[in-house]
Amino acid sequence: MTGALNGLTLIEIAERPAGEYAAKLLADLGATVIKVERPGGAPTRHMGPCHRGESTLFHYLNTSKQSVVLDLADSADRALLDRMLARADALVDDHDERWGAAHGLTSTAIAAAHPRLVHAIVTPFGQGAPPEWQIARSINVINAGGWAYHSPSETPPDKPPLKGAGRFLSDYEAGIDAATALLASLLRQRRTGQGQFIDISEVQVQVNRTDAVLGRMLAGEAEPGADRGAYDMGGPGTSFPARDGHVFLFMTTQAHWLGLLDLMGQPEWAQSFPDDWLEFHCTRERVAEFRVHFAQWSAGQAKVAVSEAAQKRGVAMVPVNIAADLVCNEQFVHRGFFQTIQHPVFGPVACPTAPYRMSATPIHLTPAPSLPPFGCKTCKSEPA
Amino acid sequence: MPLPDRGGPLAGIRILALTKVWAGPYAGKLLAHLGAEVIKVESATNLDEMRAYGGVDRDSAPYFQSINQEILSVQLNMKTAEGLTLLRRMVGQSDVVIDNIRPGAMERSHLGYEELRRIKPDIIQLSIKMWGNDGPLGYQSGYAPSFAALSGLTALVGHEGEVPRGMNIRYGDSSVGACAALAILAALHHRETTGEGQYIDLSAVETMTSLVGDSLFAWSVTGAVPEADGNHHPDMAPHGTYPCANGEWISIAVAIDPEWQALCQTLGAGTLAANPRFATLPDRLSNRHALDAALSAATASQDASHLADRLRHAGVPAFRSQSSLDLCSDDHLWGREGYRMVSDHRNGSRPIIGPSWRMTPDPAKVERGAPLLGEHNDYVYRELLGLSEAELADLAARRVVD
Repeated sequence: MTGALNGLTLIEIAERPAGEYAAKLLADLGATVIKVERPGGAPTRHMGPCHRGESTLFHYLNTSKQSVVLDLADSADRALLDRMLARADALVDDHDERWGAAHGLTSTAIAAAHPRLVHAIVTPFGQGAPPEWQIARSINVINAGGWAYHSPSETPPDKPPLKGAGRFLSDYEAGIDAATALLASLLRQRRTGQGQFIDISEVQVQVNRTDAVLGRMLAGEAEPGADRGAYDMGGPGTSFPARDGHVFLFMTTQAHWLGLLDLMGQPEWAQSFPDDWLEFHCTRERVAEFRVHFAQWSAGQAKVAVSEAAQKRGVAMVPVNIAADLVCNEQFVHRGFFQTIQHPVFGPVACPTAPYRMSATPIHLTPAPSLPPFGCKTCKSEPA
Repeated sequence: MPLPDRGGPLAGIRILALTKVWAGPYAGKLLAHLGAEVIKVESATNLDEMRAYGGVDRDSAPYFQSINQEILSVQLNMKTAEGLTLLRRMVGQSDVVIDNIRPGAMERSHLGYEELRRIKPDIIQLSIKMWGNDGPLGYQSGYAPSFAALSGLTALVGHEGEVPRGMNIRYGDSSVGACAALAILAALHHRETTGEGQYIDLSAVETMTSLVGDSLFAWSVTGAVPEADGNHHPDMAPHGTYPCANGEWISIAVAIDPEWQALCQTLGAGTLAANPRFATLPDRLSNRHALDAALSAATASQDASHLADRLRHAGVPAFRSQSSLDLCSDDHLWGREGYRMVSDHRNGSRPIIGPSWRMTPDPAKVERGAPLLGEHNDYVYRELLGLSEAELADLAARRVVD
């Protein structure tokens, strides 16, 4: 099968979701990724949730890769890694500098031994950060980068900032930037025959994603402050109850409002709202009043049907989908976003692919490498 | 006049950007920050909304300037046949075309992929739409919080037991742009290997879905539907954000018992350390609500930065939850060029958020702020397309270049 990155070989010595995801993105795009696992298996093999003695996390993060077990503290195995690096195009790591120094895998050591290699290291705060900062975990990263403090929108000051969706949102964002920088550098390698060292800061990825918000504050065009709502937009947009879950409504224009009135059948309570209130009279009080009325109405609606009716009126209302909604969603099915892989342990699994459909090089996932007898050693589920 | 050499890994790659608002321009920014020449096609009569938000002067609009550093701007009226002819000539000189304009707009302007390929056989085109370029729901449109809600991501973010309100309403566009940049680079590699271009159809909804991929994979295997779970982590306790003095918060993540002991010792919380309900990780997970309450009581009077510093030195992962004010004054980010200065037409210089990467050797220079509307008309029309000064003046007079 043709993948966009066929012909490229990457060695992955990453041991956290940030680096593993960067390499997964490239493996799913067709690169040959050889994952180096410590004796006993990669740390993510021992993280839940598990099924039949195997980590679902590991098997998600390592699709389309190959794997080899090396003890990098052992000189013979370390020499084997160097032989692999001599034949590879890139090296992906996510350990801190102390680990790199202990294993002869610093940027300078790699550049000296393998000048053609593109070498990327993803760490919480980037190279040169105080060593004790680099023990940060995902929740520390998303808090250091600002998204947690400002999520969800309109969180009152007495409610805790949130870690984001799942456990590893900041790792995945960092993985995208690491993969992007790697691919750019590999284009340069094709041209010049030379490698580069790439130092990715997970916190900086978080901050970079806020350029249109925090960037204005940095430049003095908007006021930074301690306000938890500093990233908010105002307006009535939020999640509302539906009969079978929730819908998300976003409205900013008169056309949105008139479309919504039509959808609701011109309710009496709405008569006190000027047609152009969203643009010119969007006060806190009016937003609050709207939300009370609208929530009463939306609570009686089915989330998919009412959203489709709204969309046909130009109103940006959508269902708040849950996992079970997605796999059978007609648009996801049409695009083939979930690919069923025949997993040797789990059986058939609907596996998320990538958001880009590429006409010449469609993505075809293969299961992550199994490594008997290294199933998850912490979970309680029985091996198959 | 030729442009200055900025270096960087994408030097020599030219990208034509028919992009607006945030997701599309963000993709262009990342590629420009890697050294690509990114030409944004604009028009005074069909302006990028970001040139209008928050200011009256389209040449110093805060939103626009926060995103579009090292982007080139060429004016072109796509509503004229002559403008479209010129655009096709620009396509002929480009490696990649990015668009995130309305569904169907490219096709109506005869800029669908097959048409672009007739102009340049190995062209790469990437289109960004909420739901992708076709399909039964392709007609629907929305904004960042809409595609986050559709994707399954919003349902996973909320305080426990409350309506899942999702990430901040701004979250999403930039992540979509980042995935677009990644896909374009993959396609450039395929072109290098085979000589073949391709069409990339990017879905904003699926970008958000891919960011919760492990939760969905686990659901597919185990059948357990993931839900909004506050700050809960199945393998760590305490794991969350805890109140500190002056309305600040601290994030703490404890995985193993020695970290728990170090946390208690640093806080001087001997009663916590001795409490058998919190002695081991399984105990702490089983009693996590009581644990969070007890820990919150212990952190409430502390200074968040100072406590985080002491905890980190004791081996406990901790960091202040940073507000916009904390971020703007973050010395570490300034020291790493996470923030840096670029040129600014009005004020001489402007601080911007720099790339998340540092590269050695040969990083791309990121020195020029966002362009004036049409700042690079001369470069594009005269250097690239070879028009004379008089021809360009005539196009401007007839509003083909507007």
